[in-house]
Amino acid sequence: MDALAPLMPDVDFAYDEVTNLHELIEELRPNGPVVRVKYLGAPVWAILDHKELNQAFNDLEHFDPGDGYRIISAPSMGMTMQTMSGEKHRVARASVAAPFLPASVRGYVERLIEPIAHELMDRLEGQREVEFVQGFTRPYPFTVITRLLGIPVSDEAMLLEWAVKLIDFPWDPEGALKSKAAFDDYMTRIIEDRRRAPTDDFVSTLVKSEFEGRRLDNEQILSLFRLLFPAGSDTTYKNAGSLFACVLSDPNLRAMALKGNKEREALATEGLRWQPPTAMLPRMATGDIKLGDAHIKKGDWVLFGITAANRDPKVFPDAARFEPSRDNRELISFGRGVHFCLGMHLARRELETALRIVFERYPNIRIKPESEVEFVGGVLRGPRELWVQPYGAA
Amino acid sequence: MRVTFIDIDGETRTVDGMPGDNVMRCATEHSIAGIIGECGGAMACATCHGYVDEAWADRLPLPSAQEKEMLSGCIDVRPNSRLTCQIKLSEELDGLRITVPESQT
Repeated sequence: MDALAPLMPDVDFAYDEVTNLHELIEELRPNGPVVRVKYLGAPVWAILDHKELNQAFNDLEHFDPGDGYRIISAPSMGMTMQTMSGEKHRVARASVAAPFLPASVRGYVERLIEPIAHELMDRLEGQREVEFVQGFTRPYPFTVITRLLGIPVSDEAMLLEWAVKLIDFPWDPEGALKSKAAFDDYMTRIIEDRRRAPTDDFVSTLVKSEFEGRRLDNEQILSLFRLLFPAGSDTTYKNAGSLFACVLSDPNLRAMALKGNKEREALATEGLRWQPPTAMLPRMATGDIKLGDAHIKKGDWVLFGITAANRDPKVFPDAARFEPSRDNRELISFGRGVHFCLGMHLARRELETALRIVFERYPNIRIKPESEVEFVGGVLRGPRELWVQPYGAA
Repeated sequence: MRVTFIDIDGETRTVDGMPGDNVMRCATEHSIAGIIGECGGAMACATCHGYVDEAWADRLPLPSAQEKEMLSGCIDVRPNSRLTCQIKLSEELDGLRITVPESQT
């Protein structure tokens, strides 16, 4: 058999829903830590085991993410920090990092995140059944970003449309570029406004921030804003959906959600391990390397199997089980190394806050009996739908 | 060599450290609560913040500009705050004492 042929030629990890993703991964795993699978109609590598994935994330010589992102995202997203390497990346990231560090993010919880969670919970009042992804988990992190950026509520829907379109460049280049122009135009006005009259909000922090003696220009700020929606909203909403699907269906987990910060932290962390929103992250190899038994060549596409590594039985015993008390120090959901997810603290505070407020507001909320929760997606993964009854059986 | 970690209640745990290893790695290998190091030691996550005991603070090389930037965004920063992934263990640091910040435990 051709060693480079995909092991599961009938499964496309980009196009198929792969509801049984974890079963497929466990079927692939005995073939080695790095295997061949099909992605976008062509064979690619997939890294499945934790040790090799950790190595790849830290190996910027052979797996510099910049090259891949310059192909798939730069035309419509601009030169975001994902497309940058080395010193240029370090400076770009450091210039915008301050509002994402723990002290700043802690300040957003009461001022920003809790009120949004409550607003969205208000909308569930009186409803017997609600689809929780559309009703809560999707608008929640999106609204956190629009409010961070100071966008008026009346413009939120328009922003969502542009933001969703921005990442469609590989499929719809014209639409993506049109959205980029509209998005940039709108956000530039907000940036200019804060330059004239800075407040203490997120945009003002960026406008005022200096790094190595230089202020950020509009394009530097815009490239961060374009990245915020796909990186911070799509991921968090999918993960929140997966987390609630688990917690809602287990009385012990529900009790934990109301107990305390430590318990909510453990639940959110286990949710991130059990069903990370970025299940398989595509990267392009930037050098020839032997990883596991695989001879990866420069220019090969490689799926970073985050969700597979998070269930590597050598690191996480009984990995398929949702067990918040387990040792999750080796969690790899936010990546590793210098490109580690800048929004990690914000994402975690959003998830923890959601757990508390949802169960405080609707202590009897439950998954609609006999409704099936299906997780979909090989790249970004979360529940397709999550039907709940906010008042339980009542 | 030995490293002592102190939690916010004053409980201490003394563990073996490997010269050449960093303090974050030493802590995670011994499951010290509150030192996480989720990015793996790249100064990218701010989850390995620790307070270096005054007696040792002067014996360490000064933090880099990048470490100082990350520290400035941590919670309850003190003059002796460090990212523990940036402290390299050596025999001269035998007996090093690190307090884990309350915000991380």
